[in-house]
Amino acid sequence: MITLKHVYKQFDISKKRHIKALNDVSLTIQDNTIHGIIGLSGAGKSTLIRTLNQLETHDEGEISVFGYQDIKRLNKESTRMLRRRMGMIFQSFNLLESKTVLNNILFPIRVQRKLHQADYQKAYDIINDVGLKGYASSYPHQLSGGQKQRVGIARALINDPEILLCDEPTSALDPLTTKQILALIKRLKHKHHLTVVLVTHDMHVIKAVCDEVTVMHEGMPVESGTIDNILFNPTHPITKELVQLIGFNMHDVAKKINKPGLVMSLKFPKHLTGESLISTCINKLDVEINILFANVTPNTEGIMLINVNGSEQNQVKPYLEKQGVVIKDA
Amino acid sequence: MHDFDMYFKAFNETVYMTLISTIITFVFGLVLGVLLYVTSAKGLKPNKQVYAFLSAITSIGRSIPFLILIVLLLPFTRFIIGTILGPSAALPALIIGAIPFYARLVELALLEKGKTLSETGVSFGATNTTIITRIMIPESKASLIRGITVTSIAIVGYTSIAGAIGAGGLGNLAYLYGYARNRQDVTIIATLLIIALILLIQLIGDLIVKRFTPN
Ligand SMILES: Nc1ncnc2c1ncn2[C@@H]1O[C@H](COP(=O)(O)OP(=O)(O)OP(=O)(O)O)[C@@H](O)[C@H]1O
Ligand SMILES: [Mg+2]
Repeated sequence: MITLKHVYKQFDISKKRHIKALNDVSLTIQDNTIHGIIGLSGAGKSTLIRTLNQLETHDEGEISVFGYQDIKRLNKESTRMLRRRMGMIFQSFNLLESKTVLNNILFPIRVQRKLHQADYQKAYDIINDVGLKGYASSYPHQLSGGQKQRVGIARALINDPEILLCDEPTSALDPLTTKQILALIKRLKHKHHLTVVLVTHDMHVIKAVCDEVTVMHEGMPVESGTIDNILFNPTHPITKELVQLIGFNMHDVAKKINKPGLVMSLKFPKHLTGESLISTCINKLDVEINILFANVTPNTEGIMLINVNGSEQNQVKPYLEKQGVVIKDA
Repeated sequence: MHDFDMYFKAFNETVYMTLISTIITFVFGLVLGVLLYVTSAKGLKPNKQVYAFLSAITSIGRSIPFLILIVLLLPFTRFIIGTILGPSAALPALIIGAIPFYARLVELALLEKGKTLSETGVSFGATNTTIITRIMIPESKASLIRGITVTSIAIVGYTSIAGAIGAGGLGNLAYLYGYARNRQDVTIIATLLIIALILLIQLIGDLIVKRFTPN
């Protein structure tokens, strides 16, 4: 578990200009999850992820990882040890151009000690695992962007880290390659029981892989939760705009609709996805339900926006809630 | 003395001065350049005072005209070489003139990919020494070699200035015969030999870059 408590980080541009890149960040990142951090440019996402391995030291607050109370207080050697327990991948891949794929991947071990035969075996296994079979002796400039990021991922995993930090790992890639790289990260997360922290400005990336999301705005986390909850119940204006971008525009729809009656948002838990609750409800209660919007979350929960007659809402609401549907007024 | 022997001797002297100076400049320029990079604002361990000091020496060293540098260094040269005449006596001035030149090129080369590369190393848990010696320098090999090639060519130019005041070499020949004895043909041949030497250095530099970079 990674915990941040009241973390602050300020950059002093000049004597008079200071940028509060992190402005009271408190956040918990659970083990074995893919935790997305999204926000507009300049929101402080990169600064946040870089404090986790102390590429950036925070000014105030505590960051606890691996049972250390505050990683800022570790000495140099312990900080290096901490970093070796975390892999990091970058937007621009940051491969060593003068080294082959194999040597790039082995490099994090090489900086610590002499290589053993077993290290080579391990590197070849990882090369196969990330889909680069046959590329061990290629140089980075001979690879495509997607392949380069695969090397980056392999290199980040060579030390068996428990945490994988990703700062915009797919922002330099096309949509299809992005999808493949995200799928790879997801698979490797399961295989190696990783905790993944993933910074992105693309809501599609969040939707594709993240279990949990934190929305950053002006150095502050303004909203945090499971992807399904964020999609169903975004509260911050930025979050509302972000979820619209991936087809969850019910807030817009709700605002535009000017039918009489009541507009409600419904969330159907997973186990209800196969049921025909709405039509049963209409038949049983003899009411009218107008469906304005419907979509399915990444965890296959249904989200729906309905419009019911004012006098019938007192029947509809209790009925659906009894079936296990979560309801909120829109 | 036959003309051929004369050219041969002068050519050898120029090659000797250039080679020794280039080798020593490479070592010390690299060290100074790395220190400049490390302490610069965007370096691994920024240190304003140290950087300002190193940077000032480097800039001053680069801005003293070479002819004046030779004269300034005369006592020093006499002290460590024992004479102020001949190719060896030119070495201190050549080296001291070239080190700041190369050091700046090294600093620029390292800064070019500096931030991303050093952070990558830091994220692996590498020490600063490892980052410099195993990441920054190897990744900047091509620029560092191109830099020493340019420096070496500049040194050839300096040797001709040094030659004019008694260091020997092709510069000396061109000056002595062409200017003092009005033998244009010697000046032209000496110039052609200097050009040939410069082209050779460039060629060797390019070959080394090719040999050491994957492509
Ligand atoms: N080293 C630095 N020096 C000065 N200012 C910085 C530095 N790093 C970040 N900042 C500033 O801090 C703020 C947050 O930057 P950060 O890089 O964390 O944003 P971000 O959310 O990652 O944005 P982007 O999506 O553009 O990458 C920005 O205003 C940025 O200009
Ligand atoms: Mg960023």
